[in-house]
Amino acid sequence: MTGRAFLAAFRVILTDSTALTLLIGSAILYSFFYPSAYSGEVPTRIPVAVVDMDHSAASRSLTVKLGALQQAEVVARPASPDQALRWMQDRRASAIVIIPEGFERHILRGEQATVALYGNGAYLLRGSTALAGVGTALGAAGREAATDQAMASGAPAPPALALIQRPLFNTREGYGSTVFPGVTFIIIHQTLLMGLALLAATMRERHGPLAFHPCELLGIALAFFTVGCVNVAYYAGFVFWFQDMPRAAGSFGALAVAGALFVAATVAAALALASFFQTRERPVQLWIITSLPIYFLAGLSWPVEATPDWLALLARLLPTTPGIHLMVGINQMGASLWEQRSELLNLAALVLLYGSIAAARYCGGRTAAKEGRGDRPQTL
Amino acid sequence: MEGANGAPGAGAAFREGFRREARFLRSSFWDLALISWIPLLLMAVVAIQLGSGVMRDLPVVVVNEDGGAISRELTRRLDAAPGLRVAARALDIAEAERLVRSRVAYAVLLIPRETERTVLRGQTASLTLFYNASYSTASGAALREVGNVVQAHAARLAADQIAAIEPGKVRPPPIAARTVILFNPQGSYELQLVALLHPALLHLIFMVAVASALGRELRDGTIGVWLGGKPRSEAAAAIAGKTAIYVLIFMGWSILATGYLAGLRGWPVLGSPSMLFIGYLTMYLAYLGVTVLVTGVTLSMGKALSVAGLYAGASFAFAGAIFPIESASAFARLWSALLPYTAFAKLLAEQWMMGSPAAVSWPHVIVLLLFLGVGVAVGLPRYIAAAGTPGVWGRR
Repeated sequence: MTGRAFLAAFRVILTDSTALTLLIGSAILYSFFYPSAYSGEVPTRIPVAVVDMDHSAASRSLTVKLGALQQAEVVARPASPDQALRWMQDRRASAIVIIPEGFERHILRGEQATVALYGNGAYLLRGSTALAGVGTALGAAGREAATDQAMASGAPAPPALALIQRPLFNTREGYGSTVFPGVTFIIIHQTLLMGLALLAATMRERHGPLAFHPCELLGIALAFFTVGCVNVAYYAGFVFWFQDMPRAAGSFGALAVAGALFVAATVAAALALASFFQTRERPVQLWIITSLPIYFLAGLSWPVEATPDWLALLARLLPTTPGIHLMVGINQMGASLWEQRSELLNLAALVLLYGSIAAARYCGGRTAAKEGRGDRPQTL
Repeated sequence: MEGANGAPGAGAAFREGFRREARFLRSSFWDLALISWIPLLLMAVVAIQLGSGVMRDLPVVVVNEDGGAISRELTRRLDAAPGLRVAARALDIAEAERLVRSRVAYAVLLIPRETERTVLRGQTASLTLFYNASYSTASGAALREVGNVVQAHAARLAADQIAAIEPGKVRPPPIAARTVILFNPQGSYELQLVALLHPALLHLIFMVAVASALGRELRDGTIGVWLGGKPRSEAAAAIAGKTAIYVLIFMGWSILATGYLAGLRGWPVLGSPSMLFIGYLTMYLAYLGVTVLVTGVTLSMGKALSVAGLYAGASFAFAGAIFPIESASAFARLWSALLPYTAFAKLLAEQWMMGSPAAVSWPHVIVLLLFLGVGVAVGLPRYIAAAGTPGVWGRR
């Protein structure tokens, strides 16, 4: 019975072109389409406007050094800070460097000359890396100026402490390698959820309330579980390799267990959710509009420490929240199952929770099916 | 109604289309939900989650191989910094890395042996900070905080200790860069993200709602009764009336979302609020154009929705507001330019945060109107023609 239901579910998927597109087509499409947004992994040179108010040899030499930086491109030398601001307001410059009057005098006197670096807060996230680069480069340019100074007053003392920064796991630190491995599991989650809900709603439209024998339900669940696992294998095995994302840091066994548990929780949630849909197009509407909030709730791009506790707790009801932590943890950070045990437990709890809801909705005796919850005038 | 009596009038057709959709929305709980409490809920979730704006008490681990007074004081200072919390003290790097892999902490500060002696000798001791680059937002914030604490501590050490050894040798580096973030001085992620996420959600829901409204008439075969036999101009007016209700409602949401951030949360619109709302209005009109095009081409509610999802679903990533799209591939840049949200995000940055003159943003408005023009020109004739061809009705 389970086997028959398993095969029947596949037949339904293959004969419904929209469902097929959702479940398999979109996974393939997104795997090439989405990472292209991040294909420019190396931050480009940011356009900088330099205002030289000192007009000295030292300030001119600093301007030249700025132009030679890997992170910056001097696009304008406006005469005043006001003009420079206009360059930024028109978005022709992303940063402004202002060399104040008396810059050279300060250096020659052995004092510290301060250069002001203005960044654009309207582009806080995308600008911060490049801005930090320009800041560091300015400091480095300053060390060369120290030789001029040393002639007058001796070399300055070295700082007592220096901080070396070393990225772990995602060592390339690109936008894509940070975001895409998380978005992947949103894609798999949403396509499974909505593909299944769309098929269930279509069946309900045609044949009325759905009721299955527990074995049949298991067969259907296994069919979608297979589709989900193929998707996970496709992304973790091929796409991450093809797009050269940080990957395969953990053991294959751990990855397989984690992927299977994530898909199981997603299928259980999909079955439970699908039992409420009565209109074929409704799941597609939800799929489109919920992805962004679900992604942020997962806590990859916005830390759980800065999320209100009750909201973070509610987010744990979504399979994507523990799922993304787990898959990134194992595949990118090389964590063991034991180190990620809280995520595993979370997913297992969701399998039980949504599995029971699904079982109650579909197998709760023929009575529950006939009692006609679907007769509500307002159907989903 | 006048239109029914053969007295033509685009105005009457517009009103009739508007009323027809309003009647439908009143009768359909879930379609009403899609434009009422569902957008409210989704916008509220985003606003509440990102409401804190700055990250506090991010957990870090300290591996103190030195154990001297300087390292103990540094650890204490790390814990006291508002942005950080020393979650654990690990014995070695391996243990610390395990803690990072279990997500107990985002970063590890290694204070090596001999740190104290190096500092007392007047040399530079190197500390190493390992951070979890897989969680870049949190790690980046922790990185900046640790950097600040270490720098401040170094400055104090210089003043206290090196001065005692060799007075006169303590001199600051000759050039210091003081970084100021214009337009968002607090460096608030709330302003940056929520201001962009709300219109990102709204344009998606708007497109879904309009695709559903137009597609529904095809699916249910009601388009014939509604538009069949009407002159083209009246049919166009009826469609305009039907979709106007959505433009109106979503303008309401835009005003609410802007009012929430600008009024309630204190991130005022520095440029022209009316320009911002013109931007919102033309963004909705642009997506209206795209939706008419998509519905006219697919002539199926389900397919129109799927295409809409594929088209607009990733606009947040492609808009170039969070990640620089300029350095991406030609395909990504083209895709980005084909999304009205990209133009709107630029307008929003100019008018909300940067306080640019209104004139700077007009080009974006023109781009947005182009989407409407092209979409309507291609899609509308096909959609109206479908009213007379029952063969295409009812496609799922």
